Amino acid sequence: MAVPVAFLLLLILFCVILIAALFMRPGATITRGGKILAFLVLFCLPILCMSMGVSNQLERSTSTEFCLSCHTMEAFGKSLHVDDPSYLAAAHFQNHRVPAGSSCYTCHTDYTMFGTFKSKLRGLRHVYIYYLTTPPAPEKIKLYEAYNNRECLHCHEGARSFEAGAVHNSDPDLLPAIRANKKSCISSGCHDVVHNVATLNNVKLWNGGQ
Amino acid sequence: MMLSENPFERRLQIAGVFLILGLLVEALCLVWKGPLAFLVFLGLGGILLFAGIVVYLFSLVSIPHSQD
Repeated sequence: MAVPVAFLLLLILFCVILIAALFMRPGATITRGGKILAFLVLFCLPILCMSMGVSNQLERSTSTEFCLSCHTMEAFGKSLHVDDPSYLAAAHFQNHRVPAGSSCYTCHTDYTMFGTFKSKLRGLRHVYIYYLTTPPAPEKIKLYEAYNNRECLHCHEGARSFEAGAVHNSDPDLLPAIRANKKSCISSGCHDVVHNVATLNNVKLWNGGQ
Repeated sequence: MMLSENPFERRLQIAGVFLILGLLVEALCLVWKGPLAFLVFLGLGGILLFAGIVVYLFSLVSIPHSQD
């Protein structure tokens, strides 16, 4: 759980004041109490502030606002507002099937042991590409690898709409194939309209629920 | 603002300066919403905090032993 920014800022301010006091009167460390205070202020508190800050920054990097803060991602943000339920990303975002505040991360992280870590590494690569190279046009941005059904099943597995859906049960081999990632949810012709940023100029947008 | 003439106290003051700068960078990155905030947070703030802690720890181990 992320620490509130206001609390963290207050902690940093408290720490800075104590360090400044120690700077003004370094002779106070002659006493046992002064030594303990110096250890707390010059070692323990900075490490605490740093670790809480890292936690806060990592949590912030999962927010939709953070992902869409790069100009290249604006079209993908717009695709979340398409007024057409066949757009998979828009349908999930608008109906809160994914948390609206972290919708990008919810679908684009890997639900594996090191999935979050891999997501952060990809994010660092995106920052590098954005600032130090020429980022590709939004319609040319592709996934690094084929979208794994595991990410869909993280939420849909066991859900009635998935397990008992008429289309999913039309063929007895379909559900096992989906679970085994042998038949892709989004590239087998079933749920293949996802962001489709190249066609956004021709679609109606829905901006309710803001 | 003068640094102390006592070597131990001077190292504590130098550590304090590094730590204050690192904490200020950290605070700035917390209110900065851009994608670079995390990199500056770790790359600059982290290094300053690390330097401050190392100088502080070095000041502890560099105290001359008393000859009892």
